Amino acid sequence: MVLRMKVNGKPFTVEVAPTEPLLHVLRERLGLVGAKEPCGKGECGGCTVLMNGQTVNSCLVMAAQADGADVLTVEGLAASDGRLHPVQQAFVEAGAVQCGYCMTGMVMSAYSLLQQNPSPTEAEIKEGMEGNLCRCTGYQKVFDAVNLAASRMR
Amino acid sequence: MTTQSWIGKSVHRVDAPAKLKGEPVYMTDRPLENPCFGRVLRSSHPHALIRRIDTRRAEALPGVICVLTHQDVPGLNGFGIVIPDQPVLCFDKVRMMGDAIALVAAETPEVAAHALDLIEVDYEPLPVVDDPLAAMLPGSPLVHESDNIHLRTVIRRGDVAQAFAEAAVVVDHVYFTPRQAHMFLETEGGVGQLLPNGELHIWCPAQAAFRDRLQLARLLDWDPERIREYSSPSGGAFGGKDELTVQHYLALLALHTGGRPVKIHLSREESTVSGIKRHPFMVQMRTAAAADGTFLAQEAFVVADTGAYASLGGPVLNLAIEHIGGVYRFPHVNVEGYCVYTNNGISGAFRGFGVPQVLVALESNIDEIARRLGRDPLDLRKQNAIVRGDLSAIGNPMTTAVGNQAVLAALENSPTWRERGSKKAAVTDPWKRRGVGIGLCMQGLGLGKGIPDYGAAVIELLPGGKFKVGISIQEIGTGNQTAYAQFAAEALGCDVADVEVIQGDTGYSADSGTVTATRSVFTGGKAIQITAEKMVAVLRSTGAASYADAYEVLRAEGHETKVRGSFAWPEAEEEIPGAFGLPHHIYGYGAQAALVEVDTLTGEVQVLEVASVVDTGKSINPMGVEGQSEGGVAQGVGFALMEDTVLREGRFLNANMSNYIIPTAGDVPKVQTFIVEVHEEKGPSGAKGMGEVPIVPTMPAIFGAIYDAVGVQMFRAPATPERVFMAMNGDPSANEDTPELRALIASGRQAGLAAQLHQTEGEGYAQPKGPGGEEV
Repeated sequence: MVLRMKVNGKPFTVEVAPTEPLLHVLRERLGLVGAKEPCGKGECGGCTVLMNGQTVNSCLVMAAQADGADVLTVEGLAASDGRLHPVQQAFVEAGAVQCGYCMTGMVMSAYSLLQQNPSPTEAEIKEGMEGNLCRCTGYQKVFDAVNLAASRMR
Repeated sequence: MTTQSWIGKSVHRVDAPAKLKGEPVYMTDRPLENPCFGRVLRSSHPHALIRRIDTRRAEALPGVICVLTHQDVPGLNGFGIVIPDQPVLCFDKVRMMGDAIALVAAETPEVAAHALDLIEVDYEPLPVVDDPLAAMLPGSPLVHESDNIHLRTVIRRGDVAQAFAEAAVVVDHVYFTPRQAHMFLETEGGVGQLLPNGELHIWCPAQAAFRDRLQLARLLDWDPERIREYSSPSGGAFGGKDELTVQHYLALLALHTGGRPVKIHLSREESTVSGIKRHPFMVQMRTAAAADGTFLAQEAFVVADTGAYASLGGPVLNLAIEHIGGVYRFPHVNVEGYCVYTNNGISGAFRGFGVPQVLVALESNIDEIARRLGRDPLDLRKQNAIVRGDLSAIGNPMTTAVGNQAVLAALENSPTWRERGSKKAAVTDPWKRRGVGIGLCMQGLGLGKGIPDYGAAVIELLPGGKFKVGISIQEIGTGNQTAYAQFAAEALGCDVADVEVIQGDTGYSADSGTVTATRSVFTGGKAIQITAEKMVAVLRSTGAASYADAYEVLRAEGHETKVRGSFAWPEAEEEIPGAFGLPHHIYGYGAQAALVEVDTLTGEVQVLEVASVVDTGKSINPMGVEGQSEGGVAQGVGFALMEDTVLREGRFLNANMSNYIIPTAGDVPKVQTFIVEVHEEKGPSGAKGMGEVPIVPTMPAIFGAIYDAVGVQMFRAPATPERVFMAMNGDPSANEDTPELRALIASGRQAGLAAQLHQTEGEGYAQPKGPGGEEV
């Protein structure tokens, strides 16, 4: 099938199998490797992107489902001059990054959470980040980062 | 030159922005031109003879570039860090489900997967060896040609029988720890390519680039200089990428793809089935104390399941044995440890490296001694904790910095411990109970006595007065890249931003060994400081006013702008005979207090908060230390409460993240970290290192807290709701220490002794020495 979608504001048209995961389309065909494939089964959140404003596990979205969609990946967050988005900057300053492999997914979930809820409580941050697994950090500094980002973006 | 001090500052991670932006920094994210895709055919049986391998149908499939078997391994068909007992590609026999039999490279991942299905392998299944204790007994089927006992280590000191006879309290239990999976988020993968100049380049996240290169050279029959491995950064490792992971497959395939890059990236399931795990341990431990609380004797029988191949099973066992008495004085010791082959996958390095497996037994026994003597558990530990100058349980004179007293003082002062009364009383639901427990640990740093352990760095002055630092130790997430930039900036008197750190590249970085054994800050820091001195001397010799000018002067005079430096790790004066690699010389110290809430209706345990004390020596980057502490505790919570790679007859039952559950944001406690800085004068700026320490005391602290809450001791980890519920309800399965098990242990011990006799005929096992060095 011919897949037409907007990724980070730019229109793309690619020839794909309808069952190809959106994650593979992004990584292999568009060269956007910010979304990762740690599990491939929708369990870890490492492939989190926004599709039509909602976070999705892009490993579970088939290309056909993404037809016509507006997709935002982590590559679309930073400014064109390379300046980090406030969410990304907060992750740097809070010391949330260790190996970093899960962090692009974390950033997308945090971004989405703060879009919907600019002043999340501690419990709401926990719930908002529960879909993203991290093996390095123990999540404490991720919570700190989301708090910091929230306070700056309000 | 700036005079700002960088050491001890929470400098932001230098690698964070690129990672957060999704730039292709990982080896498995590299953009490739005209790539092909590799896959590995794994075994269909945990233990079987291979009768026939037929690749013809796979080779005939359109889109297949090559299919390789054992016949295509030019050099030694074996690998392994200590002994190369793991076949690169199996030919006569498979010993675990993760064994590799054939490799495929194809135009697409789909074709490669299809080709695997077309490879025909005839197996003759063999009886599966899946119980490590039973595997020791005579008559057990053999995993390899010789005995299933890979290593036996015995350490005896003093007069144990006399000490037990005189003791006021003796505690004797059997504990089991699980096969924890590393579950790093980036599964094993990478790229191999044969370049037109004849060099083979491997991009693969790893923990020992130069040793990997040697292993590759050996199996290819190549000059190692023709191989270049790029191995940093890694999307998590924790010891799980210490052994070769896919480098050898990439290397073999790259010789058959006509110069095209070949990529392998394992699925989560393949990663779990083929990768190493934490060794499951059975520890029978008998501990004696006098009426005044003085620890008298420690006796243990330890069995570690190394799975089908050795990897680092021997050193893991020995480090566990070294820490059998924890941080305490034990004048009388008798410990016997076995590392045993089975068909249960493969075990190897994992953060803590055997120490967490024995610490839970020790600290649980100590808690029981405290209860029986009516003593405060923290106070009892204080009474027995080693101070500098004491002998450790295995008889090692502790001549370097000892953090015990400072660590215990910080723990005692932590809100989790100090306010435990009110925290426990704050329980809201009447069917829930709260408790607080503690754990105290040390962890040997560096590789140990007699094992070559060294550091080296290269520093290059660049135009404009910037610097490049090359060091092979990889960034696996711990923050050493930032720490190295801090060390360099401090020593060179420049800004952290002016230092670029090149890690894990055998073509540029100096060989500094592995990123394991909590050695990376010590090793890299020291190497950088020594090398930076040389750079500063070179700069002085130019008489230039700035680094930028100095560069111009050096170039104008035709001089190199690169300097190298190296050093050897300090090591203990006396080895512990019969225990390779023992003792260590410098130790990290840590302690934790955990507050848990147990649901008495379901057995579910929630860890509410953990106070984590770490003695880092000088802390190079406190924010980084906190991150390591928080992450270590989270892995410890998983190890204690939820994680186990379950095998049935050698087959994996939970190889995916959907059924192997690691802690989520909702499972982790609030962690408060207390950094204690007991400076180690042999370390760089007084630093030691701490990466492994925070996972070690977590399980005993949680188990102690469960006891404090509901009055039951857990003997098998993880303490799942089912196990806690059964223990609370007096189910006999909650304690597996039955007469039958004791009989099996006795048989195992006998068989072990027989195997030992057999082995001493070949390679001599030295007699252990007493505390004064006398033969026993």
